[in-house]
Amino acid sequence: MPDATETRADYFDFQPVQTRWNDNDLYGHVNNVVYYAYVDTAVNKFLVEAGGFDPHTAPVIGICPESHCNFLKPVAYPEKLEVGLRVGKIGNSSVRYEVAVFKDGEQTPAATGYFVHVFVDRESRRPVTIPDAIRAALAGIAVEGDVRNGTHG
Amino acid sequence: MGEAAVKSAGAPLSGPIAEYPYRIEIATRWGDNDMLGHLNNVVYNRCIEDIVTKFTRFELDVDWLKDDCYPVTVETLCRFHKQLSWPDPVLAGLTVQSLGNSSVTYAIGLFGEDVLSPAATGTFVHVYIDRVSQRPVPIPIAVRNRLEKIVLSRAAE
Repeated sequence: MPDATETRADYFDFQPVQTRWNDNDLYGHVNNVVYYAYVDTAVNKFLVEAGGFDPHTAPVIGICPESHCNFLKPVAYPEKLEVGLRVGKIGNSSVRYEVAVFKDGEQTPAATGYFVHVFVDRESRRPVTIPDAIRAALAGIAVEGDVRNGTHG
Repeated sequence: MGEAAVKSAGAPLSGPIAEYPYRIEIATRWGDNDMLGHLNNVVYNRCIEDIVTKFTRFELDVDWLKDDCYPVTVETLCRFHKQLSWPDPVLAGLTVQSLGNSSVTYAIGLFGEDVLSPAATGTFVHVYIDRVSQRPVPIPIAVRNRLEKIVLSRAAE
């Protein structure tokens, strides 16, 4: 479970985020809901890049049964951000990503949370075993297990 | 904000729309659906925020632009149980889950046609802060009185 004492070293993949004008709300900082869009985008980009996931044609897709976020300090357009990812738990059909949002150049997170994917058949929407290529990618950023080979920066 | 952020908001409710004393209908839009043909998960969170902010504005009479203190969001959670999709409207319900000195936790349910079984449930934590110091302050008494009414009516059920 991510907490506020963590740093970039606790995450094994980073996806860049360019904030947009309309991400800021009346407070002048990024609206809470927009963090979920950053995470949704980062997680799927990871699956595309590392797991060979094709969102247009893949017979197995990931859908989200639960997401959570703690907002620790505000971020605002036009800052550049990064979403840090790691895998906390992998089951037969589901994975729990642990995530943190970092400001450019900062070591401690502006927000931490988690995001769960359950992989389902695209047509029936019933849970299925995580495809091998995706499982291998997820194992590569997992907290537990010996699959990681120390190449994560 | 840090003090409130380390607390856990607790589990959402799981019952029918009748559990939630404040309700609104939210229209969906074409662009709310993602390429999987259902409301994107982020949009569920937007619906949750919508009912919390409308409740805060219209039932608690909080004015974000003028009041000396106002709420900021420190923690949110959403559990997705069923698919919702455009063009169906979403029925949202809200109740007060718990009330602290400077924080309030709401429980929210989102429903489609079936108002007995939620499509999504969530929690949302507001902390009231001073406009100038940006530090947590006690919830203003007028706001607290309104929130307590809901807590008391829940306890009486």
